[in-house]
Amino acid sequence: MKQENNQPISGTDFKNYFQPSSLKEALEIRDKYRSEVKLVAGATDIFVQYNEKLHEVENWLDISRIEDLKKIEKKEKSIFIGPLVTHLEIIKSDLINKHFSALSAAALEVGSPQIRSRGTIGGNICTSSPAGDLLPPLLAYEAKFHLSSRKKSRIVESDEFFTGPKKNILKDSELLTGIEIPISDAEVYSFWKKIGRRKALVISTLTLNLVLEFENDLIKRAGLAVGSAAPVPVRLKKIEEKMLGKKLSQLDYKKIAEEVKNRISPIDDLRGTKEYREDVAADIMVNALEKIEKERVSG
Amino acid sequence: MKISLTVNGQLREVEITPYTRLLDLLREDLGLTGTKEGCGKGECGACTVIMDGELVASCLVPAPQADGSEVLTIEGLGSRDNLHPIQESFVETGAVQCGFCIPGMILASKKLLDENPHPAEEEIRLGLSGNICRCTGYAKIIDAVMMAAEKMDGRESDQDG
Repeated sequence: MKQENNQPISGTDFKNYFQPSSLKEALEIRDKYRSEVKLVAGATDIFVQYNEKLHEVENWLDISRIEDLKKIEKKEKSIFIGPLVTHLEIIKSDLINKHFSALSAAALEVGSPQIRSRGTIGGNICTSSPAGDLLPPLLAYEAKFHLSSRKKSRIVESDEFFTGPKKNILKDSELLTGIEIPISDAEVYSFWKKIGRRKALVISTLTLNLVLEFENDLIKRAGLAVGSAAPVPVRLKKIEEKMLGKKLSQLDYKKIAEEVKNRISPIDDLRGTKEYREDVAADIMVNALEKIEKERVSG
Repeated sequence: MKISLTVNGQLREVEITPYTRLLDLLREDLGLTGTKEGCGKGECGACTVIMDGELVASCLVPAPQADGSEVLTIEGLGSRDNLHPIQESFVETGAVQCGFCIPGMILASKKLLDENPHPAEEEIRLGLSGNICRCTGYAKIIDAVMMAAEKMDGRESDQDG
């Protein structure tokens, strides 16, 4: 049987691939085409999603040439990361490694060298997969996302951004223009763990990120976030609160782990069952606290 | 739309569509069929090439993003009569069985050795972690990369001396 070929004929009449070099132009195109335009940055996710049906996409907005979105900058009390910064650039950044070591560790476990060289932090955020590996660290470090449309800009908390599997609050006129993470001057310890079926190229079965800031041995701030354990990457604020103002030695690790288990809502899928994910989350939580305890003693 | 890019040292101009992948451009427009398509989803590494110095899965690179870039494919690394030391090492250690993954494996090895001329086994495994081989069990591929590291070391010091 002959298959109908719907692909447009090759030639010079392609007006539907936009590759602006400035954010201003990109926002104008975004504003004009709204949901009719597909955003592409590193393409490592969207080209998989549209594998063999790329021709079905009518309009592409390729933001990969916007140099202003590729920077990592130190501000007075934060680090500003452009959305086009790749996973590889995150791994190589001394600035990120120094202040947000768990974000570096998470980036190092994304995909493979071929994916890390192209996939971007902005792509990871806007794809909004519950299994997005950079998302728990961003939540735990209390990142803020800068969003802009042609007319307005706004800054939102990372834990208000994700609304469901592959869903977020980004409007169809907006682009993510930056990720800002506050720098702490306290004594910071971070833990990151990814559980998957193999080491490379695996979608996480579960990820957990714990950040603890200490002042005179007391926990001054806690950031705890879990990935692949709910419809969105989740920050477990209730558990964070219970750790505040205490010494590590005053915490009952087992009890906290049990609470993590109770506060996540994973599903059964081909990467693991609900029960498995709950048990693993509890186990890694204990590991996280033990590891930070050890680091502080030796440190 | 027309783009121009440097492939294996030569400037090429190619007519593309917005949904042409770098992989299609290399194989179909330029006839460089040493770059293979395995999964088409960035998971197997058979389509690996080096673009602007970075290892990429060419099945996930929109051709318009390759405009102005510099690409190295397996055809640009060595020739039948003048193999690259990495290629020699793959032959000598018997690291090739069906061969489908090998162009990607060799380019991933090149990228690794360019950055880290004396990798430990664990570093080799990490460098090649985006490339899947279904024949060899990887042991001989790792031997090949180690042998290549030695050969390249020797040749570099020859040049220096």
